[in-house]
Amino acid sequence: MIRLRAVFSKKDRAKYISHLDLNRCMLRTFRRSGLPIWYTEGFHSHPYFSFALALSLGYESECEILDFNLNEEVPFDEVRDRLNAVMPDGMEIISVAEQVRKITAITNAEYSFSLVTDKPESLINDIKSLINQEQILIEKKTKKGVKTVDIKPDMKIVSCEVSEKSVDMVMRLPAGTQTNYNPSLFFEALKNVSDMPFETAEIRRTGIFCENNEIFS
Amino acid sequence: MLKEKIEKHLLEIQKPSRYIGGEVGSIIKDKSKVDVRFAFCFPDTYDIGMSHLGMKILYSLTNERENYWCERCFAPSEDFEAIMRENDIPLYALESLDPIKDFDFIGFTMQYELSYTNVLNMLDLAGIPIFARDRTEELTQIVVAGGPCVCNPEPLADFFDLFILGEGEEVNLELMDLYHEMKKLGASRKEFLRKACHIEGIYVPQFYKFHYKDDGTIERIEVTDDAPETVKKRIIKDFDKVYYPENFVVPFTEIVHDRVSVEVLRGCLRGCRFCQAGFIYRPFREKHADTIVEQTKCLCENTGYDEVSLASLSTSDHSEIDPMLTKLLTYTAGERINLSLPSLRVDNFSEELLEKIKRIRKSGLTFAPEGGTQRLRDVINKNVSDEEIMNTCRIAFEGGYSSVKLYFMMGLPTETDEDIMGIAELAQRIIDLFYTMENRPKGRGVQISVSCATFVPKPFTPFQFEPQDTREMIEHKQKLLLDSVNKKRVKVSYHDPNVSILEAVLAKGDRRLCDVVYTAWKKGCKFDSWGEHYHFDKWLESFEECGVDPAFYANRRISYDEILPWGHLDYYVSHEFFVRENKTAHKAITTPHCRLKCSGCGVNKEIGGRCFD
Repeated sequence: MIRLRAVFSKKDRAKYISHLDLNRCMLRTFRRSGLPIWYTEGFHSHPYFSFALALSLGYESECEILDFNLNEEVPFDEVRDRLNAVMPDGMEIISVAEQVRKITAITNAEYSFSLVTDKPESLINDIKSLINQEQILIEKKTKKGVKTVDIKPDMKIVSCEVSEKSVDMVMRLPAGTQTNYNPSLFFEALKNVSDMPFETAEIRRTGIFCENNEIFS
Repeated sequence: MLKEKIEKHLLEIQKPSRYIGGEVGSIIKDKSKVDVRFAFCFPDTYDIGMSHLGMKILYSLTNERENYWCERCFAPSEDFEAIMRENDIPLYALESLDPIKDFDFIGFTMQYELSYTNVLNMLDLAGIPIFARDRTEELTQIVVAGGPCVCNPEPLADFFDLFILGEGEEVNLELMDLYHEMKKLGASRKEFLRKACHIEGIYVPQFYKFHYKDDGTIERIEVTDDAPETVKKRIIKDFDKVYYPENFVVPFTEIVHDRVSVEVLRGCLRGCRFCQAGFIYRPFREKHADTIVEQTKCLCENTGYDEVSLASLSTSDHSEIDPMLTKLLTYTAGERINLSLPSLRVDNFSEELLEKIKRIRKSGLTFAPEGGTQRLRDVINKNVSDEEIMNTCRIAFEGGYSSVKLYFMMGLPTETDEDIMGIAELAQRIIDLFYTMENRPKGRGVQISVSCATFVPKPFTPFQFEPQDTREMIEHKQKLLLDSVNKKRVKVSYHDPNVSILEAVLAKGDRRLCDVVYTAWKKGCKFDSWGEHYHFDKWLESFEECGVDPAFYANRRISYDEILPWGHLDYYVSHEFFVRENKTAHKAITTPHCRLKCSGCGVNKEIGGRCFD
């Protein structure tokens, strides 16, 4: 059995494929590619696919991680090309390589997005005052129920720019097996403090990182 | 471009991937190089419509022609419909995301009566006039329909420019060719329809006027514009060679039948007297085992599906069933593909094959005796005997099964209380059999589920003359059944009789029903087949307002010499045959299936003498 890791993008119309549907979609893509898929042994034999992080419906990404197994060795580039030949529109395998680190090494993820508004200047003022608060408390739904979290200590703003019709931001948030914050928490916090109506657009995951800000691979 | 407008709202609704296209296998063309555009509309949601095999066949077939483009279109769910109406998003096709009102053909497939209001709703969402008479004189936006329900299209006649009777693989392209030609000549809609009605299989309802007697029955059908007196359905003669797609559109979201489907035979030789499919799809034709295996391989490789099912009315009647399944199982097992088998008659299989089938069959055991007593099963010509049921149950119990599902119909012609109690008795005999077997599965009791549909008399069947039971009669029988069964071991489910009444009226209705369908839709009826959306009260109001009595269509016995609303349509099975079979039914005499003895239904004349070699 050969363990491999693919980095893939999910853009345009493919952003409407839900996480649940993605598994089925990948299985069919692999079957179309004719690659030697490895199947689990046991009574309910099935192929092994594991996505490092779930991606919210409607979010784009250029760095999704898929772990999978093959039965025989196939050159990395060939695996990539054969999959890309039969991938749905909007999805593309960027690279295939060995699995270097464990999934548990992931600590945070980076997102870019636009906040579309008529008055970006006043929205950015609200953003500034929000991030200057001592705490940014927001209710987060978890499996166990709703709890209040402070996203301020773990939220890192990489960039924040004003354009004609929007405020464009890049931000890193905790991700992985321990804590997962979705940018929607930030949007909600901003809605709580700002009178400026805005719509979110082009939300995209742009990077997945381990400790020390190393790119996960 | 509609895309932006649509995308703006996609995250507000359930399963958005249903509304944006882009699936693997969907066909995109350069519209500047396309001469005729066809919107293939299924009048129900994506999840249901995408499971329909006919659409897959005709979609691929049309798109093989470089200059024709067939796209898909479905009814939006309630949540998205509200958004479409609020934001002026017209109904669009999934490939180009262009509004379907700009298409040359808007084609609906009519699979069940309870989807009729959805057609009106979709036309309205598209911005296309609902009544054919209100459409432009220009040659564009031709609204057409095919599918089993158009064997009696009269309750839909006012909404369509034309109907396509029978199998579409040839006639659809002929129709598009004619359109293409006449469009170039600058012809009008009417001129096109006048020509189109001479293509075999094309019925243009506006050229046929119905005159009624005082008692409500049809006096005569007046034919205008030189249209043919009777319209014949289309039949594919060489079924083994008929076009079959090499690829399917593979959806992202889960659909009802999410697998490769390979058609193994068309038509049915059984002749069950209630079954419309059994007569309108005649003659019986099959594909060679090798063709079936080839098509299975090709589709599995191209789609990536790991499940395949065989489509037909009765797969076990295929003359090469044993070698076919053996070959298929060899392929599917090697490729880790799950072959799902519909209910098969297992009587004449080899031991070896039985073993193989046992290994892959996961689901429970299902029988459709349809009637509770042998007498009633003889009336409906359902040739299943008690002995066969018991034998198969024994084999199944020995194999470790402990639950059985039985399908019945209630309200069949000549049915008495005794036949209803016969259902309970049959279930009890299966229970008793289980407990007398020493090698039965241990640790569990036996469970029987009995599912009862209400009989709906359908056109082009020997029971087309029969009245349907009234609601009171059905409710009495349902109560009787509940009182007679062993409640600990038997679970009974049945259909809402109010639904079956509407089905009967729409199935056998005439052109006067068009106004009722329109009124009901205006009152908010749509998705009538979805229990929670069904408003029988609104339908009753609509009948009342239009002065139409539903009982006239559902509960009246039709005499043999009456002019039927579908009397001018020819499905090759003769009226005389239906009369003969109806009389035989009332004597509780069975008719052997076509391979044993030709019953002279009439279809053999069309195909040149004999259905079987």
